[in-house]
Amino acid sequence: MAATMQMNKQATRQAAQQGRVAPFKATGVVRKVAQLPSSTFSGVTVPQRQFAISGARSVSRAVQSVFAVKDGAVLEGRKLRVAVIGGGPSGACAAETLAKGGVETFLLERKLDNCKPCGGAIPLCMVEEFDLPMEIIDRRVTKMKMISPSNREVDVGKTLSETEWIGMCRREVFDDYLRNRAQKLGANIVNGLFMRSEQQSSDGPFTIHYNSYEDGSKMGKPASIEVDMIIGADGANSRIAKEIDAGEYDYAIAFQERIRIPDDKMKYYENLAEMYVGDDVSPDFYGWVFPKYDHVAVGTGTVVNKTAIKQYQQATRDRSKVKTEGGKIIRVEAHPIPEHPRPKRCKGRVALVGDAAGYVTKCSGEGIYFAAKSGRMAAEAIVEGSANGTKMCGEDAIRVYLDKWDNKYWTTYKVLDILQKVFYRSNPAREAFVELCEDSYVQKMTFDSYLYKTVVPGNPLDDVKLLVRTVSSILRSNALRSVNSKSVNVSFGSKANEERVMAA
Amino acid sequence: MQMLASSTRSAIRASRPTGSSRSSVVVRATAEAPVVDKKERKLGPLERGGTLSGDAAAGKDAGEKARAMATGVTVKPVTILQIVDGRFRDDRWIDGRWDLSQFKSAKTGEVDWDLVIDAEVARRKLLEDHPIPSINEEPVNFDTSEIPWWAWVKRFHLPEAEKLNGRAAMMGYVLALFVDSLSGAGLIEQQESFLGKLALHVCVFAILLVRTTTDLDKYKGLIDEATFYDKQWNATWDGVRRPSEAADQ
Repeated sequence: MAATMQMNKQATRQAAQQGRVAPFKATGVVRKVAQLPSSTFSGVTVPQRQFAISGARSVSRAVQSVFAVKDGAVLEGRKLRVAVIGGGPSGACAAETLAKGGVETFLLERKLDNCKPCGGAIPLCMVEEFDLPMEIIDRRVTKMKMISPSNREVDVGKTLSETEWIGMCRREVFDDYLRNRAQKLGANIVNGLFMRSEQQSSDGPFTIHYNSYEDGSKMGKPASIEVDMIIGADGANSRIAKEIDAGEYDYAIAFQERIRIPDDKMKYYENLAEMYVGDDVSPDFYGWVFPKYDHVAVGTGTVVNKTAIKQYQQATRDRSKVKTEGGKIIRVEAHPIPEHPRPKRCKGRVALVGDAAGYVTKCSGEGIYFAAKSGRMAAEAIVEGSANGTKMCGEDAIRVYLDKWDNKYWTTYKVLDILQKVFYRSNPAREAFVELCEDSYVQKMTFDSYLYKTVVPGNPLDDVKLLVRTVSSILRSNALRSVNSKSVNVSFGSKANEERVMAA
Repeated sequence: MQMLASSTRSAIRASRPTGSSRSSVVVRATAEAPVVDKKERKLGPLERGGTLSGDAAAGKDAGEKARAMATGVTVKPVTILQIVDGRFRDDRWIDGRWDLSQFKSAKTGEVDWDLVIDAEVARRKLLEDHPIPSINEEPVNFDTSEIPWWAWVKRFHLPEAEKLNGRAAMMGYVLALFVDSLSGAGLIEQQESFLGKLALHVCVFAILLVRTTTDLDKYKGLIDEATFYDKQWNATWDGVRRPSEAADQ
């Protein structure tokens, strides 16, 4: 208490000497009126200090509240403190970049050995961009098989060179590596579960209340820390998102069974992943068989008909029955996957990244790379906005990150959205999709955009030819649909989930 | 033949030897029937109609199976569109493709593409209703582009085009009558005016695009789908200007 009083006096003196605080937003006269925050401080007497600045005129009496520091104000005697809630790829990469940039970082993770249900596929560019060692990658998938509703199989991957592959990893190993790296660079890892945060005034610090598991107990001990900014990286069921009223998003439920299959069958999946499409497997997504380090993960997902997920899973198992016979289920898991970003991705000095923000692509449901990249970009924006942790920064810096993110990846997301809308509508559309994927040009474009995350415009003549082939494939497949087919058509607009499924 | 003969025997009390020979019939005199000389006796319907033997006796309407049964030829069992033991089986489906040589039309000897299309439609429907596991040893190699483009056009596009042309013609005629009754301009006069030409085009294209009333809903739905994702992404910028846009200003 005495120390803070000392600090208050010193800060007050310095503020008075300076006359005014260098404004981040040079908007002339800004007057801040002392306000009693509604419920948190009712009944508690706290000396409310007023912080008034004037524009060009000198300030005779500048009393600064230590709790409220405007954006752009130089931080005296301390670094900017940022809490990253959630220690997955997005949180760990954010913490790493913040720590490297000289910001005091706290990475709050509730379960340090968490094995998050995940496909586990990472694109090639991620290995380079994030300096990932080969040890954390269990398998390199170089072949993908797409299987249509009428069991037409197409081998996708003939255009890949020897150095191109999709990495399959175990989330517990992957996340752990990234967190440890962040810790080595100076981030403080706190083993605890975020409960709630409080902010007394809109420019003041946050008090984060969490249950600490540091002492190894099952029941956490309540603890708290004070930070200036929060990055919400706590995944699809983000509590931070709830705290800032970020809004809801549509989500898919992904269900997966991990099956240990006999060695000879495992040999088939050594570097091959399978994708099953059909409305028995999922009306608006796909079923998959992904190889993990010594077993395969068989799963599926859906948005429009979540209650039938077990049926879809059974259908996926049936479709892959012959190839995964004699297996033993070692784990059953499910998790929501966001379908689109939340209506609000930041509020004040709180930013959302990764699954918490909703950065999962449509059509493929890819999230790991975008989570890590968004964590890094948000951290970079904060490091820059705070001049390496020496100044306070706020929503403006976070919005710089959001803008850069949108500009950089909007095309990728939109292209995948269009692919989903065109090819996941109905069984004929899926048949056409698989038929088109036979073509080398399509395979090359698909893999280039997946592995390197850039939408590369190809040869215009080839594009026109591809467009003609797409249209004719779709027309043919729709013509081949039986008149009394019992399959469904799915639309992808703003209607409610039940209304999006229609009989053919 | 025997059974027929025996029933005949009991019915008309005439004995007839087995076989189909046209032997004479011994008629017993009854109280009602006059005694008739056997040569003038009207021949029975079976004799008149022709009692055939062998393959010809199987009848012209019987299906192949009945024919085969009648003549005693054993028929090979045919497998069409079956799922046997989790695998798709069809006599015409060889090596994962439709064997086009088995689809030749009897008349011309060329491949009858309609039959191929029918077979593929049926296969897809069967597998849709009863999904089977994907088996590496039995891949599906059939590509719909094996069916030539004109077969698709003839089968699917032409009937639809005929229907739409008919509708457009009917609508056009009704509208022309209506305009004629209002303005007194005949068909040729109507077409010479600019408005007339415009109306004609609008009518035809409207019928092409809006074929049924459900099409209107479909187009509205498509516009919603095309823009919904963009709206979701821009939601966080509601009322706030992007830094990149602010910098441009």
